[in-house]
Amino acid sequence: MTLRLLAIAFRNLLRAKRRNALAGGSMALGTAALVIASGLADGITRQLSDNLVAVQTGHLQVVVRPDDFQPQNNPFDAYGQDPLPDAEALARRIEEEGRAQGVVRAVPYLFVRGNAVAGSRSSVAWIVAIDPAREAELRAAHPAVAGTFLPEDDDMAVYVAEVAARKLRVGVGDAVSFVVQTPQGAVNSLDAVVCGTFRKGAPWYDNAFYVTLAAGQRLVDWPGGATNVKVLLTRGSPRAIARGRRAVEAAVAAASPRPLPKATRVRVESYTEAGRFSWAIIQANEAALVMLSGFLFAAAGVGVVNAMLMSVRERTREIGTMRALGMRRARVVTLFVLEGMALGIVSALVGALVGGSVVLSLAATGIPMKVASLAWMAGGDVLYPALEPASLLRAAGSIVLLSTLAAVYPAFSASRLEPREALHHV
Amino acid sequence: MSRRLAVLLLALLPAPASAQAPDAATILRRADRAVLGETAAYTLRMTVVRPGKPERVVEMKGWKKGDDQGLVRYTAPARERGTAYLRSGESTWLFLPAAEKVVRVGAKQNFGGGDFSNSDIFRLSLIKDYVPTLAGEETVEGQACYKLELKAKDRSIAYDRVVYWVRTDGSFYPVKADYYTLSGKNLKSLVLSKVKRLGGRPRPSLLTMESRVDEGSRTLLEFLTIEDDVKLDDRLFSPGSLERGE
Repeated sequence: MTLRLLAIAFRNLLRAKRRNALAGGSMALGTAALVIASGLADGITRQLSDNLVAVQTGHLQVVVRPDDFQPQNNPFDAYGQDPLPDAEALARRIEEEGRAQGVVRAVPYLFVRGNAVAGSRSSVAWIVAIDPAREAELRAAHPAVAGTFLPEDDDMAVYVAEVAARKLRVGVGDAVSFVVQTPQGAVNSLDAVVCGTFRKGAPWYDNAFYVTLAAGQRLVDWPGGATNVKVLLTRGSPRAIARGRRAVEAAVAAASPRPLPKATRVRVESYTEAGRFSWAIIQANEAALVMLSGFLFAAAGVGVVNAMLMSVRERTREIGTMRALGMRRARVVTLFVLEGMALGIVSALVGALVGGSVVLSLAATGIPMKVASLAWMAGGDVLYPALEPASLLRAAGSIVLLSTLAAVYPAFSASRLEPREALHHV
Repeated sequence: MSRRLAVLLLALLPAPASAQAPDAATILRRADRAVLGETAAYTLRMTVVRPGKPERVVEMKGWKKGDDQGLVRYTAPARERGTAYLRSGESTWLFLPAAEKVVRVGAKQNFGGGDFSNSDIFRLSLIKDYVPTLAGEETVEGQACYKLELKAKDRSIAYDRVVYWVRTDGSFYPVKADYYTLSGKNLKSLVLSKVKRLGGRPRPSLLTMESRVDEGSRTLLEFLTIEDDVKLDDRLFSPGSLERGE
C-alpha cells in the first residue's frame, strides 16, 4: 500500500513541474554543494592523514614525552625530543608480538633540529634519520624530483626538500654540512652529499633533510638511538588502531625502555593524538562543513515547506474529494510526506551526480593552493578532493531526510481539511 | 774581536732553562681572566657580517659575576633596545620586549643572530670545562704564542676540542681559538686583537668569531668600556630582573 502511495507521490511531482523543479533544484544545488564541500574536506583529511601516517607517525608511534608535555600545535609535535632507549630492539619486539594484532612494521627513526650550511648559505634543518630500506611509505610520500631517494648504505647521503635545496642553492652531488647540538650538549657536525631532492608541498616539510639512521646516530653522538618508533598497521580504522595499540602498549610495558630522561615517560600515541596540529585542521574543516550544511539545510528546508504548502493549497479540492471517498487522515499525511521524500530523492540523485562529477574532475587535476596559509591548511600545495562513498551518502541522505521532514507540517495541514469545506474551495 | 764573537755565539744558543714555559693549566687560568675579571660591567658593540647582507650593528651593556652569571641588555638600535640575555647557572633566558616574554634558550644557540653562541658569551672560563695540554709554541697573528690543546672534560661541553693560542710575552692574552665539533670539524675560529687600555689595564678589546662552515660569516664583538671588580647584586641575575629591566 505504502509503495503504491510512493508511486503516486512520484507521479504527483510531475503535476506542478515548475514549482517542484524550483524546490527540487534548490535542494539538488544544496546536495551538490555539500558533496563538493565534503570532497574538499575529505581531500584535506586524506592528505593530512597520509602525511602523518606515512612520513611521521605511522598509525601508532612510541615516543618519550615529558610528564608536563604541552603540544605547541605545530606539525613537529609528533616528533619526539628525547631519546628512546634501545629503540631498535623495541621495534623488533613490537613487530614480533603485534603481528597477530595487525602490526605490519615498526620502524625506529631519529629526529633532530639543527642548521644546514652550504657555502655561504644556511638554513634551519629538520634532520630525520631513517632506515631507507624500511620506509617504503615515506619514499612514496616524498617522491624524488631530482636524483634518487636515500640509498640504503650511504651514510654520507642526504635527501633534501626541494625548498631547502633552493634556499641553500644546492643540487644533486653538492655538499651540505649539518651542525647540531647533541642531547648531551656538545656541538657536532656531519658532512653529506645531496643524493636527491623531493617536493612535498606541505610547508612543514620544506626544511626536511633525510639521512641514514647510522649517520644521524653518529651526528647526535648516540649509537643505537632514536626518538620515535613508527608502527604501521594493516588497516587504519579506529577499531584496528585500538587493537594495535593494546599490542604495542603490551610490548612497550614488557620491554620497559630504560634509562629515561628525568620527568619523562614512554607513550604510545595514535596518529590522531600525535598529529594534533593536523587533527585540529581536520576538525576545523569538519566544523566548517557542519555549519555550511546547517545553512544549506535551512535554505532548502524553507523551499520544500513552501513548495509543499503551495501544493496543499492548490490541491484542496482534491484532498476534499479523497477524504469524501473515505481516505483517512493518516493516509493523507503519508501521501504528502512521501511526496516530500520523492522530491528529496530526485533532488539528491541529481545533486549527488553533479557534485560527484565536480569532485572527481577536481580530484583528477588538483586545486593549486597558491597561498602559503592555504597550503598549510590543505597539507600540500595542491589539494586533491576525495569522493568518499560515505560522504556522498551522508549528503544525499541528509537532503532526503530534510525534504521528508519538511513535508510533515504541510501534510498535517492537508489532513486537517474537512471534506465539506475542502470541496467548496475554489 | 774574539769577545764579540763569543757574545754572538751565546746569543745564538737556545734559551736557558729558567725561561721554561709555565704549565698548561696556569696558562689557561691566566688567559681566562685576560679579557674580563671575575666580576665586571662593560659596554660592547656587536657587528654581524653576513655575505650579501648589510652589516647588523647592536650595542649592549653587560654584567658578569663569576663564570656562570651574566646579563646583557641591548641599548641600540632603538628597535631592539630592551632585548636581554641572561645566564644563571646552567640556564640561559632571552627577553623580547616586543612580546613582553621571557623564554629559555639553549646555551649553544647563537647569541643575537651572530656567530657567538650564548655559552661563548657567558661562559668565558675554559679551565672549568677543558683539560689543557701544552702542544708547543707558534707564531699566530704575528704574536709568539703557547699552543694549548684543550679536550672537553665530558660530552656535554659545547666543543669537544679547542686549539688555543696564548701570548708568551707574560701578558697571557689569548690570541686565537679554533673550536672543533665531536666529529673533528673546525666549526669556528676566534681571534682576539686590538689590545687597548680599558678599565685601568690593557687587554684585547676586539673579539672576531669567524664561521669555518658558513663561508664569509663573522661576528665582531668590541668592548667599548670595561669596569672590573664592580659590586653586583645576585638579584640582577634572576629571570624576574629581565622583565623589570633592572
